[in-house]
Amino acid sequence: MRKSFLSENPSVLWFIAALGLFTLMVTLLSEATGAGLISTSFVKTLGKTLCLCLIAIAMDVVWGYCGILSLGHFAFFGIGGYAIGMWLMYARTEGIVLESLSGQTIPPTPQEISDAIGNQIFGVVGSSEFPLIWAFADSLVLQLLMVVLVPGLLALVFGWLAFRSRVTGVYLSILTQAMTLALSLYLFQNDSGLRGNNGLSGLQNIPGFESTPQSTIAIVFFLISAAALGAGYVFFAWIVSGKMGSVIKGIRDNEARVRFLGYHVESYKLFVFTITAVISGIAGALYYPQAGIINPGEIAPIASIYLAVWVAIGGRGRLYGAVIGAAFVSLLSSWFTGGGAPDINLGFYTIQWTDWWLVLLGVSFVAVTLLFPKGIGGLFDYLVRKQP
Amino acid sequence: MSMLLEVSGVSVSFDGFRAINNLSINFAPAELRAIIGPNGAGKTTFMDIVTGKTKPDEGHVIWGDKNISLLGMSESQIAREGIGRKFQKPTVFEDQTVRQNLAMALKNPRGPFAVLTHKKTAKNAARIEAIAEEIGLLDSLTRPAEELSHGQKQWLEIGMLLAQDPRLLLVDEPAAGMTVEEREKTTDILRRAAETRAVVVVEHDMEFVRRLNCKVTVLHEGSVLAEGNLDHVTSNQQVIDVYLGRSHA
Repeated sequence: MRKSFLSENPSVLWFIAALGLFTLMVTLLSEATGAGLISTSFVKTLGKTLCLCLIAIAMDVVWGYCGILSLGHFAFFGIGGYAIGMWLMYARTEGIVLESLSGQTIPPTPQEISDAIGNQIFGVVGSSEFPLIWAFADSLVLQLLMVVLVPGLLALVFGWLAFRSRVTGVYLSILTQAMTLALSLYLFQNDSGLRGNNGLSGLQNIPGFESTPQSTIAIVFFLISAAALGAGYVFFAWIVSGKMGSVIKGIRDNEARVRFLGYHVESYKLFVFTITAVISGIAGALYYPQAGIINPGEIAPIASIYLAVWVAIGGRGRLYGAVIGAAFVSLLSSWFTGGGAPDINLGFYTIQWTDWWLVLLGVSFVAVTLLFPKGIGGLFDYLVRKQP
Repeated sequence: MSMLLEVSGVSVSFDGFRAINNLSINFAPAELRAIIGPNGAGKTTFMDIVTGKTKPDEGHVIWGDKNISLLGMSESQIAREGIGRKFQKPTVFEDQTVRQNLAMALKNPRGPFAVLTHKKTAKNAARIEAIAEEIGLLDSLTRPAEELSHGQKQWLEIGMLLAQDPRLLLVDEPAAGMTVEEREKTTDILRRAAETRAVVVVEHDMEFVRRLNCKVTVLHEGSVLAEGNLDHVTSNQQVIDVYLGRSHA
């Protein structure tokens, strides 16, 4: 069955080949494993970009294929990041605390160790107690489970309530914005248990690999991210092909008709919403160890809107379009806002791209939506169709 | 004879306007029926009630051999019970092929996980081809539905209804916008379908109804005004006054 699925969708093979080639090139040019032409920080940027591509294809499935314009999927991305960040921070702090206490003549009690770790982590918000949500923070396996379960459960409950009431269109978009805003505001509070606006930091240090250089850690995370994107791509391509894809696209184009065909539309929407939320969580869990820090600002409403912009610019309803959009726009964004683009001096006014990039992005979004509704990915259709 | 669908004493109001007023109407397991009536007679609302889109204020809608009530069931449940509906405007999935449209409608398990693990079988392919042949689209199976002509889209939608294998087909103005030959073909499809199931056609066009040559129910102001063969109802003075009188004057 898998064979027939791939042979019916040659674009999946093309994508995997391109991704493999890209991964190989970066590996060969990186500092840790190759010629050293690509700096470690740029390897991290590329690895993060792959994670953004992964959440972008999830967004494309929920919006481009199923027609649910969710403006809250970055909340799931952030939750995935927080879930893995809790373990990273706990385990690393535990290591440091144990080392500093090891010189004492009287061995420290478990309570003393716990207090010392709590003090290290929560001192910044004036506390040393471990909140309840950190109950599993000492277990990598359980926190990895949280990466999947928490976004999945939140999406399941939220989606069930919203779809059951037949909230659709712009109203659903507003609800999802409210969800991510509420989560972000909650996390900004110092007593949220996740260090308020400080967020979780030092996530680039992987416990157990203290002596491994960052260049190696960077390339390992890059490779894992590439594998995750490849697997996610094949998984979503499988979902949207075949009969499931027919039903999902049918819901996008005419929900009522699908209902009268006997399909329980709400179950399908809930399935798509939840599965994409889970993949978004996984993408976040891979992103933040490469970013090194996560704070509540990451899941502000604007982040989820950017996500929709990437997918729209890349081309909705085609998975490679979402990848192109996310990679292109996010890399361009860091180039412009990172001072890479030279300022333009007009004599009477200097265009500083750090300020004007957003204007440029906004204009391109409007232009793409009005002039090229199929986005950059639509160019491929054009090229393919031109061939005899 | 036991009835397939019994609608009795159904009323529904929208903002004080009584769209359906104490309507009672029955359908046998295998019959072809035309429902006619002027605009606002309640034809579409009647279909909305039977298919679960609109909940009536009062009355009963009883279905099938087990006499279950359709009220309180969702649209998709009612569709799975065996009631298919064709909309007035042809609504097929434009960017999917004829085969995909038919495959989606084909009677198979409807749950997300059954659909996700659905495998193409020779049996399903044969059913799709048989239906495509019936509606005259066998040569167009791989074409996207958006490329079809208006009439072909109407047939595709009827084909999707047949693929659902319903016991009752509700068909809203199937002949609208069709050429004379297309109408003839549509009539044939519907009459053949009615040999094994109930087919209810809502229609404005008297010529098309005459060609169907079946029992006719005239709706007016949300209830049944007259019922019988076409000649019988068209000679009814009340029907002439409210409906025919206006269009044939």
